[in-house]
Amino acid sequence: MSSSLPVLPTPLEEKYPKLPNSFQVSAEMKMMTNPISPQAHPLASNNGTVGYMLSSDFVFPKDINLSSFSSNSSSSQNSLFIPQSSTNGVSLPPISSSGIEIQSTPSVTFSRERKENSWCTDSLKDFLDFPENVPIQNNNQVEGSGGGMSYEDCAKTTDWPDWADQFLNDDDSLEPNWNGLLIDVDVPDPEPKVLKPSSSVLTHQSEICQHHPAQSGKISAIPNSLSPAPSSKSRMRWTPEMHEAFVEAVKQLGGSERATPKGILKLMNVEGLTIYHVKSHLQKYRTARYKPKLSEGTSDKNLTPIGEITSLDLKMSMGITEALRLQMEVQKQLHEQLEIQRNLQLRIEEQAKHLQMMFEKQEKMEDKKLKVSSSIPDEPSSPISNVMQPSPVNHTSKVSEQPHVASGFDAEESSQNVEQKQKAPKTSSCEFINQDNGMSSTPPTKRARAENFLSS
Amino acid sequence: MKFGKRLKQQIQETLPDWRDKFLAYKDLKKLVKLVSSSPAVVNGSAVKAEAEFVYLLNNEIEKFNAFFMEQEEDFIIRNKELQQRIQSVIDKWGLNGNHPSDTNYREEMGKIRKDIVDFHGEMVLLENYSNINYTGLAKILKKYDKRTGGLLRLPFIQKVLQQPFFTTDLVSKLVKECESTIDAVFPAVKEEGGVHEREQEAITVVGEGIFRNTVAALLTLQEIRRGSSTYSHFSLPPLILPDPDLIQSIQFHSPIPIV
Repeated sequence: MSSSLPVLPTPLEEKYPKLPNSFQVSAEMKMMTNPISPQAHPLASNNGTVGYMLSSDFVFPKDINLSSFSSNSSSSQNSLFIPQSSTNGVSLPPISSSGIEIQSTPSVTFSRERKENSWCTDSLKDFLDFPENVPIQNNNQVEGSGGGMSYEDCAKTTDWPDWADQFLNDDDSLEPNWNGLLIDVDVPDPEPKVLKPSSSVLTHQSEICQHHPAQSGKISAIPNSLSPAPSSKSRMRWTPEMHEAFVEAVKQLGGSERATPKGILKLMNVEGLTIYHVKSHLQKYRTARYKPKLSEGTSDKNLTPIGEITSLDLKMSMGITEALRLQMEVQKQLHEQLEIQRNLQLRIEEQAKHLQMMFEKQEKMEDKKLKVSSSIPDEPSSPISNVMQPSPVNHTSKVSEQPHVASGFDAEESSQNVEQKQKAPKTSSCEFINQDNGMSSTPPTKRARAENFLSS
Repeated sequence: MKFGKRLKQQIQETLPDWRDKFLAYKDLKKLVKLVSSSPAVVNGSAVKAEAEFVYLLNNEIEKFNAFFMEQEEDFIIRNKELQQRIQSVIDKWGLNGNHPSDTNYREEMGKIRKDIVDFHGEMVLLENYSNINYTGLAKILKKYDKRTGGLLRLPFIQKVLQQPFFTTDLVSKLVKECESTIDAVFPAVKEEGGVHEREQEAITVVGEGIFRNTVAALLTLQEIRRGSSTYSHFSLPPLILPDPDLIQSIQFHSPIPIV
């Protein structure tokens, strides 16, 4: 995979087979490097106009069922990637889609009339159930399995015509397929695949997407796009470079009034960019240019009009310049503080992740030890296990997560924390030293008791 | 409910168009309570409740993403426009321009200055929006795990970190560019007594402008960061402002409009 891929904002490690368009996402996800510095704009790696659509697939990671599934599917997904090796640096963006996977498996018939609320519980179950019936090796089916969300969007026929319109204008070959989709959402698709009728639509859709990868960006669903307003099914995350290309294209076509979306799209030549994206961007562009010409100095109704600045009731007569200076000061401070806060938050989570990994490693080691010395009675641990309920592996990491964080923290940050909770660090070191198996199974609510027990 | 209150305050103090784009913290809290109220229930319903919770969270995140990217796109466009405006004024009325004219230059630049400062403010407010929603998510996930003994928080938050609405690098870059543009085009003129006097006297600000919002945001940020009863290793330390007098000296004059 070309290294020029933009890093995807959505995590796809436990990638569940997704919407057809979102298959592009997983390759790019592998490119994702350090979560601490999430780069949604790896423009440096691309020379020029790289935009990307975002997949907001949100996989619920707890699903154990999925992990094996995703590992099966990952290989099939790889084969579906759109070649990213375009030399001009333009790469295919990930496409926005939303998805949630959950553990529930009872199958429920997919119904188009289902409202959103019931959709979440029932159709998700159905949607989850779907992949289990699908031979994973089949790419098409893998595609379709993630289509739960898009199905919902299919059901919202108000959105489709507008959206499908774009397609029809651009690519006639799509037309018959889309019409078929629009009309027969519920009709079982005579596909030669082993699919449930409800999922056949998804497969059908996925096939189409495969044929027209450049335009498949649209198919991703956004659950919030329920309003009939110009809601895009896929969202393009614009970058300054893309905008530069846009402006250049508009200029070449004779200005924002004369340029057409189609023309701009062709000139920009950004893979994955759709005419819909260009349309909406052009609209924004025109508004931004027109307003300043309309009313001098005011370009947004949300902004304070100049009149208001002069009406600022300053006890000290500051003047506009001073007022603006003050405003800048405050804004700068806020910005700085937000940056600091964000970095702290990132670090905290990085720490937590680290500790979780460490703890899991330790657990494995302990497991091995137990297997080796299973006959040796573990006196200290048995009273502990009476106190605490044994719980699955998952819970253990949760317990250790919190006490252990302090040990890794920077002194400046955690000085207050450490002072406040002297017990926790001690407990954590005890845990590590003793490698107490009983302790590891403590549910979070009983942590206080556990700490008392150990430190006594 | 402390964060919930702060969030509510923030929403009231934010730009009108943004008010419905924030995290539905209260609703999520209610859901968490519902989930935990029946711990002994059959596995099936617990899973279902969790699924609902996750579904809501995902919806919220999608809402954030959509709004954030929309704003970001606008910022990109406006940034370019402002740059062009400034450049054209410099080219026309500037010292080396086509028609050097100090009065015209000042006049036009004056208008631009207001716009660019507000633009800067809006971008920072978007960053604030991103952060406060993230904070809310982190808190609600923590509550969820605590209540249900689940392990949803860590992996979920890892995903959140990578979401578009939280990856604010571009906006941050634009903010910094804006700052340097302002510094370059509107060089700061140090007034001797002015700065100190400003800090000593209370400043009243009226209106619903960006300025008000940013001050409010800063204050809210400070409040949220105060130590709480659940202060833990995951908590952020209290906010330390380099210039605490700055915002302390600012008061709001007009009442908060109820929309």
